Amino acid sequence: MKFLYEKDLRQMKYTILTSTKHDETVRAIAERLGMSDAKLRMMLIRRFDMSLLENLESRWQMGQRHANDGDPVAEELGYELFTRFIPLVDTETMQTIYTDTQAMTQEIPFEEAIARGRARIREAILS
Amino acid sequence: MKKTVDVSIPLGPMHPCWKEPVRLKCETAGERVLRAEVELGYMKKGIERIMQGRPWQEVMFLAERVCGICSVIHNMVFIETMEKISDIAVPPRAAYLRVVANELDRIASHILANFSYCYTIEHETLAMYLLNTRETVLDNLERLTGSRINTAYMIPGGVRFDLLPEDAAAMLADLREVEEEMKRHVRIFETGPLIALRSKGIGFMSREDAIRAHTVGPTARASGVEDCDLRLHHPTYRELGFTQITRTEGDNFARVMVRFQEVFQSIDLIRKCIDTLPEGPIRGGGFCKAGETSYAGEAPRGELTYTIRTDDYGRVVDIAIRTPSIMNIEACAHAMIKDAASIADVTSTFISSDPCIACNER
Repeated sequence: MKFLYEKDLRQMKYTILTSTKHDETVRAIAERLGMSDAKLRMMLIRRFDMSLLENLESRWQMGQRHANDGDPVAEELGYELFTRFIPLVDTETMQTIYTDTQAMTQEIPFEEAIARGRARIREAILS
Repeated sequence: MKKTVDVSIPLGPMHPCWKEPVRLKCETAGERVLRAEVELGYMKKGIERIMQGRPWQEVMFLAERVCGICSVIHNMVFIETMEKISDIAVPPRAAYLRVVANELDRIASHILANFSYCYTIEHETLAMYLLNTRETVLDNLERLTGSRINTAYMIPGGVRFDLLPEDAAAMLADLREVEEEMKRHVRIFETGPLIALRSKGIGFMSREDAIRAHTVGPTARASGVEDCDLRLHHPTYRELGFTQITRTEGDNFARVMVRFQEVFQSIDLIRKCIDTLPEGPIRGGGFCKAGETSYAGEAPRGELTYTIRTDDYGRVVDIAIRTPSIMNIEACAHAMIKDAASIADVTSTFISSDPCIACNER
């Protein structure tokens, strides 16, 4: 439902994301996911509220420090990082991607399986 | 059968319980809050942009205007960052006086936060008692620095005013009074059955959620996060034997109680400082140089970080301020308020995290 006093927050969210520290963080996340900064910025603006955007840098730092997935596939995909620390993908979708990627590592080289897993994460983020 | 409706309830931006304008959009199913969103942008100052290109002498005054409640620590962290860049040493007496000013500011901030909480849960009597006690604390801050709010007490290499022996004696006498009053207030808060109903088990945040959102200050310490008080790593506080206060309940009650406990701890720290105040000058001198560094200090609400780049003339070329409320408000909206059993608890839970919108919208 739209209220008369609802504001369009896109401009303010964009301002948050383009400050020095946030810009560095967005670029680092985009690099990790293998997607363009602009697309990631667009999805962040669409999905996150202003406080989560403000806290993006801290969450990214804590994710780097504390996200402990326990196995190399989850680590490479950023299972905990992109579900709990920076909630870009919901847990069920990530679990499916993880299970499929884990199965793929038995059949094709590890790097290729991870690349395919990452592509599916990008799709999930952009969907 | 009672009808259950799904409603989006906006709280704020102007709300009787909010000290500053912010809007919380709560999606509810009946009484249960499914999720909450925070809308900012009602008081953006753009202070970081204003600071850029100005000499440190001007930025010093701007820094403490980021937030009126914890202005001393903004002044302190900015000055200590400049000192780190320029290798300026602080005389021991000045370092101790800085702690006194900082702790007085912390007491005032914590009492104000707990006042807001008591006011929000409709315990106005205790709220007014707390405000009355806070006045004595602010009087002492004025006694030391000459001002109650924007003190501009610290300068690179020292502080601006010394603490005279008669003022120190008066301060200690006042702190004894504050301590006695605070013991009474804490007893009222701890034993009030209605306070417990509105506070215990409400707005729970787990330790894991607190770590994920990088929650800081009393909000993190109430959820059992260890080693999250930067005073543990500050040389002057280490000399004074500082230890962190931690609770494990993670609810509104724990957050308020951590602040109450820290008030007593701050009083003890001020006493220690005054009793062992080293003799000597209060200003060491030095010049601000070119450089870049990031430095954090423990504000009343938690970790406050200044990242500064300066030029040869001591002008601030670039500055980024990360205030504790950025992390705490986010954690509050997405961990404490989410899945709250009653919409009536949203305001008190939000206030229990001591949100500072002025800090959030630098």
